[in-house]
Amino acid sequence: MKRYLAVLACALATGAAAQDGVTDTTIKIGVMGPFTGNASSYSKAQIGLDAYYKWVNDQGGVHGRRIETVLEDYACDSTKGVAAVKKLIHQDRVFMLHGNSCSAVAMAIKPIIVEAGIPWVVAHAANGAISSPPTKNIFHGVPVGQTMGRAMGQFVASKPGLARVAVISHTDDWAKSYCGPATAFLASKNIRPAIEVALERGQTDSTAQTLRIKQTNPDFIIACLYEAETAIFLKDMKKFALNAPVMGTAGTDLENTLKRVGDLDTVASYYVPHMYADNLDGPRLKKFVDILKKYYPNESVTAFSLISMGGAAAVVDAMKRAGRDLTREKLIAELDRTRNFDTGVLAGPISWSASDRDGVKDVAVAGFVKGKPTVLKAWGKPL
Amino acid sequence: MFALQLALSGLAQGAIYALVALSMCVVYRATTVVNFGHGDLVMAGAFVLYLLAVLAGLPFLAGALAAVALLFLLGVAIEVGLIERIKAGPHIGFALMCIAFGYVLRGIARGVWGREVLPMPRVFDFPPLVLGELVVTGDALAVFGVVGVLLALFFLLFYRSSAGRVMQAVCQSERGAALVGINVRAFHGVMWGAGAALGAAGGVLVAPITLLHPGLGAIFLIKGFAAMTLGGFGSLGGAVAGGLILGVAEQLVGGYVSTKLIDITAYLVIILVLALRPSGLFGRAIAERV
Amino acid sequence: MRFYLLPLAACAIPLAANPYTQFVVNLMLVYILVAVGFNLVLGNLGQLAFANTALFGIGAYAAAMLMAHAGWPFWAAIVPAGLAGAAAGFLASVTALRGIRVYYLAIVTLAFGELLRWTYIHGEAATGGTDGLAVPKADFFGIALDSETARFYAFLLIVTVMVKAVSNLLRSKIGRAIVAIRDNELASASLAIPTGRYIVAAFVLSGFVVGVAGSLFAVLIGRVIPESFGLIELILHFAMVLVGGLGSLTGSILGAVALTALPEYFRRFPGLYEMFFGGLLIVFLLAQPRGLAALAARWWPALRERYYREN
Repeated sequence: MKRYLAVLACALATGAAAQDGVTDTTIKIGVMGPFTGNASSYSKAQIGLDAYYKWVNDQGGVHGRRIETVLEDYACDSTKGVAAVKKLIHQDRVFMLHGNSCSAVAMAIKPIIVEAGIPWVVAHAANGAISSPPTKNIFHGVPVGQTMGRAMGQFVASKPGLARVAVISHTDDWAKSYCGPATAFLASKNIRPAIEVALERGQTDSTAQTLRIKQTNPDFIIACLYEAETAIFLKDMKKFALNAPVMGTAGTDLENTLKRVGDLDTVASYYVPHMYADNLDGPRLKKFVDILKKYYPNESVTAFSLISMGGAAAVVDAMKRAGRDLTREKLIAELDRTRNFDTGVLAGPISWSASDRDGVKDVAVAGFVKGKPTVLKAWGKPL
Repeated sequence: MFALQLALSGLAQGAIYALVALSMCVVYRATTVVNFGHGDLVMAGAFVLYLLAVLAGLPFLAGALAAVALLFLLGVAIEVGLIERIKAGPHIGFALMCIAFGYVLRGIARGVWGREVLPMPRVFDFPPLVLGELVVTGDALAVFGVVGVLLALFFLLFYRSSAGRVMQAVCQSERGAALVGINVRAFHGVMWGAGAALGAAGGVLVAPITLLHPGLGAIFLIKGFAAMTLGGFGSLGGAVAGGLILGVAEQLVGGYVSTKLIDITAYLVIILVLALRPSGLFGRAIAERV
Repeated sequence: MRFYLLPLAACAIPLAANPYTQFVVNLMLVYILVAVGFNLVLGNLGQLAFANTALFGIGAYAAAMLMAHAGWPFWAAIVPAGLAGAAAGFLASVTALRGIRVYYLAIVTLAFGELLRWTYIHGEAATGGTDGLAVPKADFFGIALDSETARFYAFLLIVTVMVKAVSNLLRSKIGRAIVAIRDNELASASLAIPTGRYIVAAFVLSGFVVGVAGSLFAVLIGRVIPESFGLIELILHFAMVLVGGLGSLTGSILGAVALTALPEYFRRFPGLYEMFFGGLLIVFLLAQPRGLAALAARWWPALRERYYREN
């Protein structure tokens, strides 16, 4: 009887002292992603980060604990998003959250997460308003829209003799999170778009948009379009002999866009913000591509696939620094001590502090130079 | 030339809409069910083509024909297995049944293809015709050609052949047709198959132009509705005309008014038609029989 | 009086629920109201009008805008949200009156809903555009609804009152007239029932109920975004009414509860939601097309409703 009581007391004691989501052998991380619905290709980011955490486990875990990811689908719908985050926090009782691709839903669940005090590293959603002004527990693990838009705008402005700019964009908040800051940067240089046209997701033709842009004879076109629509627009540009360089978003990458349009000529003047340390098929990213392929062999590699791994690497680093006695407060404190952490996968290091949670400030631009994807400092200037 | 170019692109788009609208109309005329899952049949056609052409390595034409044939069978199966079974239930139930199998098709596509957005190899890759300032791409030519042939075949079949006369008989009066010995139930199955096949043809034509993803069908459903409404519900020729007009209207609105309106042109057309002339362009005035 | 047994028993739910399950219950309450409202037009009036998400969305946006832009407390925004829904319902009824029937009506009302959604997306200043509008903390007659439990009791009260009102309505002259119109419009007209007036009444009442549900939704989620009121949402509403039972009040409640719980259950199969949802609907339509209400009535004859067609 005494032994039974002793064991019971121990169990209760450890239970009482234990942190939500942390046991002797596991750390639970809630991963929310749009695994179904119209935005399901965004969820490649969550797949990438899940693969990374699995790899960390195979390397021995963190202080003897395995990371257990709990994947929740919210289809980019706010109702499902609220349900998912409440389930993760109150039912699954995860230790922290690392996920989210859709900015509108991220904003909807932000108050819930702030109130719960659970650490949240944003894996993919680009709206800077999620992490700024800084709250106690929210971190941005990817470059925010302002950063990317600024990089886009800077690159466009670096073209000599730039006078007229045209913008073609979806009307959803994803596109606005890129095109908004990009046009704002150009406006600060007194360059306002000669025309702004809309191309909606799902449309299979962009004749009207292409012709209207052509009429303004632009020096540069900013295209905040998704993968399919980018391919359609580039093809229509070629069809109607609209010759101008195009600045795309991080929703596409050079290699896959080339595959989609089918010939180099059409993408020769296509540029995208480049967040990675190398090209997707380059040597410095091979380790991460291999990690993805090991745990998700059928997954194809696109611009989204590796983006969250950088944040995951930073999280694991902070967990290791926090030590075996892991609590949410300690993790947040360690995350805030992250300075110039080289993730190996992102182009720039991650730095977080209590006053600045916008972790990734370095974004380059890449384009085709002599048929090969190349990172560029500015117009015509490879790195 | 601006307007002409827009109109040309609009006709190419509209040809696809016409095909989808015609396929929905065929199903509606034959069984009085409006297939709310039709967009997903279009998507299924495109995906089956992808399976055959890219994964199984069939040449495009063979893959396209096979995809259309397979979708024909799927259409028959859906009609016989699902639609016919709920004939006795509330009419509204058909709408939900159609939506439900559309969901299942989309779910299967997503289950098999996951998160990917899939490219098709470029098929109609001839250099574009340039007539003065007008550009006609290989895509557009192919679409016009194929749709034109399909429509011609369809209308020849419907109005000239004896099989067509059977179709007309059943459309006019099911009981009468049954009384003269026509197998009405088989007819229903065949017509659904035909509708699915035509829809799949639209998917097959659209697949090389755009990228494939499970949600591809949604947009075609709405355009199909708008085209049918514009042309007059139940009028086969009207559905085709409606589709073409809608395609051109979208481009003109986008070119001259605002590109933001292109997405809702179909909805505006629906509301305008039903406000001004509910029977559409070619439909008969709706009289209710007591 | 037996009607109040269920809400009274429900008061005990918060004792057993965590914030997640309580959230799901609150969502059920919202959807009960949605289904009850939609059933008025779909089931009792028998019109295939797909305006429901338009009504839902307008109620949600009206409440959100009043609370966020004009600083109104939640309790004051509920009725205006209902009125906004009623106004939208009135607009939708105009098409029904023009002799436009069955599939035409479905398409036109669908178009109406999508056009409204387009205005939410492009009405930046007022509606917040695609990012949506954050809904301020809800104040219910001085009580702050800042926990799922608090929201539960407020919602339970509102939903109980409204469902009782609709129940009374269905038993009244108006309700009988509406059902008569569904069963045979010409015959009703020949009996000197002003069919036009009652058709409009059904749409307006449906709009009011669904608009109020929209205001609850806005508070529950905390943010209104255009994406929430599109075709996928409409399909959910449609499925709830059909699975529950066309024209049955009990059915609306059962359908709403079932189809709110199911997607949450399907969470254990990430990525397979669509297939399961569609598959389930198909199986249900083949096996029990009359709805859950018919099943329930078989077990509890007391639940049988006079105006729910069981043949």
